[in-house]
Amino acid sequence: MKTTRTLRRASQWGVFLLFAFLFLNTEYKDNDVLPYAVNLFLRLDPLMAGAATLAGRALIGLVWPALVVALLTAVLGRFFCGWFCPLGAVIDAVDATVFRKVRRRDAVLVSWRRYKFLILFFLAASSLFTLQWVFLFDPISILIRTFTVSVFPALNFVLHRTFDGLYRAPGPIPWISEPVYGLLKSHFLAFEQPVFRTSAFVGLLFLGILAAEGYQRRFWCRNLCPLGGLLALVGRFGLFRRRITEAGCTRCGLCESDCRMAAIGGDVAVTDHGECIGCMDCQAICPEEVIHFSGKEGRKPAAVDLTRRGVLASAALGAVTVPFFRVEAYGKAQDPLLIRPPGALPEREFLARCTRCGECMRVCIANGLQPTWFEAGIEGMWSPILVSRIGYCEFNCTLCGQVCPTGAIRRLPLPEKRKTKLGLAYVDRSRCLPWVGQADCIVCEEHCPTWSKAIVFREERTRTIGGEWRIFKKPYIDEDLCVGCGICETKCPLTDRAAVLVTSRGETRSTGVLAR
Amino acid sequence: MNPGGCPFSRRRFLQAAGGAAGALAASVLFPPLLPAAGGKTVDVGVASAASPAERARKAVALVGGMKSFVSRGDVVVLKPNIGWDRTPEQGANTDPEFVVAVAEMCLAEGARSVHVFDRTCNDARRCYVNSGIKDAVEQFARKNRVENALRIYHVEDRKFVRTSIPNALSIKEWDLYRDALEADKIVNVPIAKHHSLAGITLGLKNMMGIMGGNRGQIHQRLPECLVDIHRRVPVALTVIDAGRVLVRNGPSGGNLADVKPFGKAFASRDVVAADVVAAEKIFRLSPRDVGHIGKAMESGLGVSSGAQIRLIEG
Repeated sequence: MKTTRTLRRASQWGVFLLFAFLFLNTEYKDNDVLPYAVNLFLRLDPLMAGAATLAGRALIGLVWPALVVALLTAVLGRFFCGWFCPLGAVIDAVDATVFRKVRRRDAVLVSWRRYKFLILFFLAASSLFTLQWVFLFDPISILIRTFTVSVFPALNFVLHRTFDGLYRAPGPIPWISEPVYGLLKSHFLAFEQPVFRTSAFVGLLFLGILAAEGYQRRFWCRNLCPLGGLLALVGRFGLFRRRITEAGCTRCGLCESDCRMAAIGGDVAVTDHGECIGCMDCQAICPEEVIHFSGKEGRKPAAVDLTRRGVLASAALGAVTVPFFRVEAYGKAQDPLLIRPPGALPEREFLARCTRCGECMRVCIANGLQPTWFEAGIEGMWSPILVSRIGYCEFNCTLCGQVCPTGAIRRLPLPEKRKTKLGLAYVDRSRCLPWVGQADCIVCEEHCPTWSKAIVFREERTRTIGGEWRIFKKPYIDEDLCVGCGICETKCPLTDRAAVLVTSRGETRSTGVLAR
Repeated sequence: MNPGGCPFSRRRFLQAAGGAAGALAASVLFPPLLPAAGGKTVDVGVASAASPAERARKAVALVGGMKSFVSRGDVVVLKPNIGWDRTPEQGANTDPEFVVAVAEMCLAEGARSVHVFDRTCNDARRCYVNSGIKDAVEQFARKNRVENALRIYHVEDRKFVRTSIPNALSIKEWDLYRDALEADKIVNVPIAKHHSLAGITLGLKNMMGIMGGNRGQIHQRLPECLVDIHRRVPVALTVIDAGRVLVRNGPSGGNLADVKPFGKAFASRDVVAADVVAAEKIFRLSPRDVGHIGKAMESGLGVSSGAQIRLIEG
């Protein structure tokens, strides 16, 4: 009876490989349009879809696959967590390797399982009142964000360092290492080393999720994951259930002690169908082979670890927090450096929909889109901000709008994208080299990508520091033409703070007006 | 061009000996373009033809053919302008056909390998693709089964080498691309276009593509820096693409209305001479109008007066 378990493992591997494939292809590959729906996993996520819909007060066409998952769960049960969740697959893989020999019985109380429901109701209530921070706990968002911001860049870094070392090594070593490096470069490595703000923090949080496996199997999935909670509630009446032919059962208790979700309770014949993720381990290990998963009638499910008081309290707490966020001052005076991607919705709608998955940052061709810390408030953490000193918005690129799973960044046709203002550049005349009579420069004007340059220069006399009058080419910004792409700020040769900077003034999403 | 050492002493001597005559010649450079009496002259080919490839071939033929520049077994670096995420029609990058034609000539003279690359200003992948150069070069290589000899690739950080530049006017050392430093011959294949700071950009400025580091700082003393780079990494042949010329909003352009058909190509073993002629013919500018060309002449990098240039039109 081990075939179904093998199937489940194959499914987990397959899903993870698909996840990795889509992740690696969330990148410019000599093609202006991404050929795959690389954001598939996010769009399959009913928790994220529900929260974005509630908080954004809009039906989001992009997330229809999530509805399919919800319906399937209602019919089949909480299979998603055992068979399809890529984070679940990673956790199981870590469990089977790192924690293979760790004994973990009862380290954490079974009653902790209710926290995931409390988190779910908390998030649902705050979403209902427009505050969406499902991203903090959504497993798909966490996984893609972590891979984008931390895991992949770190892996890329290590591989690069290794092969750079081998490249400089003496003798025949480079002859062997270089072809391998070439292969990795064309299929796996990033084109250029990506760097991200918050990467260490995000990486540590992820390690925390994995480390919790040392206390309890599937610690995250049992106790904290609100998507798991949602699917437990939807799927507990599903048809595909664990059953026992009680006549043959010797009550050996092997299934109960081995269950990764502790879904078998007290009596081995009683299953908590909300907690059971259909991993099929119990069926595979049962010495009497009396455990089945089938659609036939079985015992009634165990009660959910929920009290009316708990539900009400967490939902009330979720609702009560909202006004605190609505009186945060950033709503009135937004951080001027909060430059959103091209096609981003107005700030409120944007934050309601943004899943913080990091897809836009992953695909951003110049590495300019970065996770925020607190520029958009605590509520806006990890949302994308263009940090032009790190990278600019490529004039002919529309990739971020193509990957956004909830339409927080609209998919713009190229001609519209070229006219969409992210903000406006200004020249810091107290630092700009020609303006202060220091040197010729005009690098900003050279790189300005608008077809009639938004940065123009005028030849003007300036007194150098030595007292001599000289003609300098001084940059001026034509605010009608400037789209705030930030390439001027990226390329400004001043090494610390640029002398030409972009602020969000004039951004199209706020003014609603397209540039000429 | 002249290899390392102290190659310019004769010219410097001539220049000095010329005295007032030289200064006078420099001030009224164009016209005429007369062969300098007794001085060493440098040929510049000016070719007109219908297609970019024909123009390239003709221009090189006018100055003696590729055999005068590339020898059997040479490792050649072919440096086009691939700096911008622009299409060939927008005139910001060297025409792909033009690049392929020059590469083909190098291979025909028995070059062991021809490496094509540029350090771009926009995202390198987008520049390589949308300039059409990557596709054209790879297609040619596939079709003629020379994939191992003719390669276009992206620059890698690890291959920039901190290089000292003796007798530098401005940059005593800089990160230069290893492949360019190690090449037997460098063939410089720029496109002629408007450039805001430099006025225009031709052969001299195109070689910034082998420089690493913060190139923006170069602009603060652009003429001197360009001389330094060319001294350290001499170019064997410069072939300037002037089929389409971006006359405004350079060097990146974008607007097709700013691109004028010109239908010419220029070739010379002396990058300075090539630039002097192209500046005059295309933009009606004398070396005095273009800071870095004037500086290059003055510093003895190549020709030091228009009188040393022999024009061969075809």
